[in-house]
Amino acid sequence: MKKYALILALCALLGGPLFAGGQQGSSGAETGKPWEPSRNVDWIVTSSAGGGSDIFTRVISDIMVKEGFSKATIMVTNKTDGGGEVGRAQVANTSSALADHTLLTFNSGDLMPMVKNTPNRIAMFKPIGVLAVDKQLIFINKTSAYKTFQAVIDAVKGGKKVVMGGSKGDDIATYNLLLSEMKWTETQLPYITYDSTNDALTAILGNHVDIVISKPAASAGYVEAGDLLPILALSTERYTGNLSGAPILSELGYKNVEIPVWRGVVGPAAMSAQAQAYWSDILKKVSETQTWKKDYLEKFKLMSDYKTFEEATAYMTKYQADYMAANGIK
Amino acid sequence: MENVLMLFGGFQTVFAFDNLAACLLGAVLGLIVGAMPGIGSLAGCALLLPLTYKFSPTTAIIMLGALYYSNMYGGAFSAILLNIPGDSPAVMTSVDGYPMATKRGRPGQALFVSNISSCIGGFIGILILTFTGPALAKVGLLFGPAEMTSLLLMAMTSVGWLMGENPIRGVISTLLGIILATIGMDTLSGSPRFNFGSLYLMGGIPFIPFVIGSVGFAQIIKIMASRGSLSSQLVVNKLTIRGSLPSLSDLKRLLPPALRSGVLGTFVGVLPGAGATTAAFLGYAAQRAFKSKDPLGSGAVEGIAACESANNAAAAGAFAPLLALGIPGSGTGAVLLGGLIMWGLTPGPLLFSKSPDFAWGLIASLYLANLVALAISAGIIPFLVKILSVPVKLMIPLITVVCFVGSYSSSNSMYGVCIMLASGVLGYILDRNKYPIAPMLLAFVLAPMLESNMRKAFIISGGSVDIFFSRPISLAFLFIMMALILFPVIKAIIRALRK
Repeated sequence: MKKYALILALCALLGGPLFAGGQQGSSGAETGKPWEPSRNVDWIVTSSAGGGSDIFTRVISDIMVKEGFSKATIMVTNKTDGGGEVGRAQVANTSSALADHTLLTFNSGDLMPMVKNTPNRIAMFKPIGVLAVDKQLIFINKTSAYKTFQAVIDAVKGGKKVVMGGSKGDDIATYNLLLSEMKWTETQLPYITYDSTNDALTAILGNHVDIVISKPAASAGYVEAGDLLPILALSTERYTGNLSGAPILSELGYKNVEIPVWRGVVGPAAMSAQAQAYWSDILKKVSETQTWKKDYLEKFKLMSDYKTFEEATAYMTKYQADYMAANGIK
Repeated sequence: MENVLMLFGGFQTVFAFDNLAACLLGAVLGLIVGAMPGIGSLAGCALLLPLTYKFSPTTAIIMLGALYYSNMYGGAFSAILLNIPGDSPAVMTSVDGYPMATKRGRPGQALFVSNISSCIGGFIGILILTFTGPALAKVGLLFGPAEMTSLLLMAMTSVGWLMGENPIRGVISTLLGIILATIGMDTLSGSPRFNFGSLYLMGGIPFIPFVIGSVGFAQIIKIMASRGSLSSQLVVNKLTIRGSLPSLSDLKRLLPPALRSGVLGTFVGVLPGAGATTAAFLGYAAQRAFKSKDPLGSGAVEGIAACESANNAAAAGAFAPLLALGIPGSGTGAVLLGGLIMWGLTPGPLLFSKSPDFAWGLIASLYLANLVALAISAGIIPFLVKILSVPVKLMIPLITVVCFVGSYSSSNSMYGVCIMLASGVLGYILDRNKYPIAPMLLAFVLAPMLESNMRKAFIISGGSVDIFFSRPISLAFLFIMMALILFPVIKAIIRALRK
């Protein structure tokens, strides 16, 4: 008998998690009243737990619950198959009542590979809002031979090769824009794509690349410790605080290069207009809380940039059009 | 001496009641999570991370640190008893662990050898971390793309040691691993490769379902195909508590490989991008160069000790770059890094000076977690081995369920299950035709790292191979690699000349 008890116990242990995810609330939206969620909400994140998108999502859903903005239970699920494409395609194709209860964290860094590698486009989603934007800077190691970006420019002009490191998506787009503005080729300023900004920062700390592109939050600790120095802000104005020493390109006689890195939320194309407005309104409320400003924007050195669903739709669509034009995608 | 004082400060932090409780809880959860196939330390930490946001940062990291750490213990349980690695670092453990448990009928000893080696490897790793933490992390930084390429090339030559009797079959298995590893996104150019239009394949073949299938599920197919005639193999000697304790000679045999792998593993753990899995592979491969009483792969104590010690040491070593520089050495490290930010700390070079309580509390908790994990597992081993006395007709459905759940939970989708089933069939066909599986798995882990580092090195050098010879560390590894290749040849020539 003991054997069977053991087997039963094992089965219960293993089977438990499977059933835990299966509960669903009752469905069916009532007409007349303003729309409200009537079942559990599935919030898909297409990168792994603990990463930037995951933290963004969990902070928002936490605030929604704590402040009582939404009574629905929100379940954050990480779907990382196919580099996130599977999760995105799944949300795009969600229909019926589920569509009103499905959210997807969607960033500029998600849009680029999706447009580049799949036939999916922003039109297959209902944008709900944009909450924050980030910009990038170029950093050098404190022991680097180049002390300023002007020195980098001189070196490239003098026929030297300067190696640049960075992460995927946004960083590559910024690199390409920088190349075209400086009229350099990929041989003059070769770019090494790392899996994450952290990997790129590791490379520059070990002096394996000459310059690195990074967002302010990821590099903050190294700048504070004096290991990395900012030499160029890829923005239309200088940063403040310990990043204020980095000039912008227009100060060096070029046009400013700036690719905003945005973080937003979308729903499936089949989401009703009422649900879209409802979620957009909740995100607005979240963006106005102190917790959001202190625990997210300030901590990750992001700029607040709330956009309603109408503004977000226009913004994401234009962003996609620009990206496709710049990369020759039809 | 300063480090020792700081460490005692750390112990004071750990012995506060809530931290102690967190450490114990983390160690127990880690064992469970590690023992369940598919849910490795990465998923375990990721699942628990949101729960810890309410904790103080020190308590939170102590719990997750203990979890990460004791997870390396748990992973060996199912690898040894069921031939299904609980997490990827335990893949190599099953190579000798499973035969020792079944063919040699010494499951209790196999588990004890694995856990004692884990403990030794862990202590070596933590000691090195305590005394050289920040300096060790700086050594890791010296490893750029060129150095990593040479190191990985050297590691790839060690595949030769895993091949078994027939080198040609071994090479074919290795190449198969490389081919499968190239499926998915090209990390440097960001374009999909060999995905045949499938969105799923765009992300490549996930390692955990691949391992569960090709090792564990293939085993099930094999037992089913032989219609229970293998069942006699699973008969185990008397399963008493005393009968599962290791003998003195077992302990003597495990010590040298455990010590060697401890040092090697710590070092591999510090390197960027190489984690506990790579360390276990290298520890096992290195053991080939030393004497083992039984041939490796047939249930040798030395084989289990070499890889289990290495993966625990690597888990400790990975904390050096994480704490000293804010650089994650592995996927789990990246999750912990995300946690640091959530808890309001700035990971990076200032962590040791700005939050010494936190950093040293974590290190102290690793010592404690190591002991707790050993004590708990020693207590449950005599009961665990009873799993083997479950009749085959019940074992098969049970293990099949474990394979399904494990591969599903690796990415929360049926894709993992499909991969598991397909690699199960592949593993069965390979095994039936006497192709070794281990070289395929090793190549699958190492090839993507080798490719991306080599291409990065060529971007830096502008296509010139000089970069591998002009850097001292890289050159040294290339020399060792050549020596490894030429050694058997020269030995054979000398032997021929003597005759």
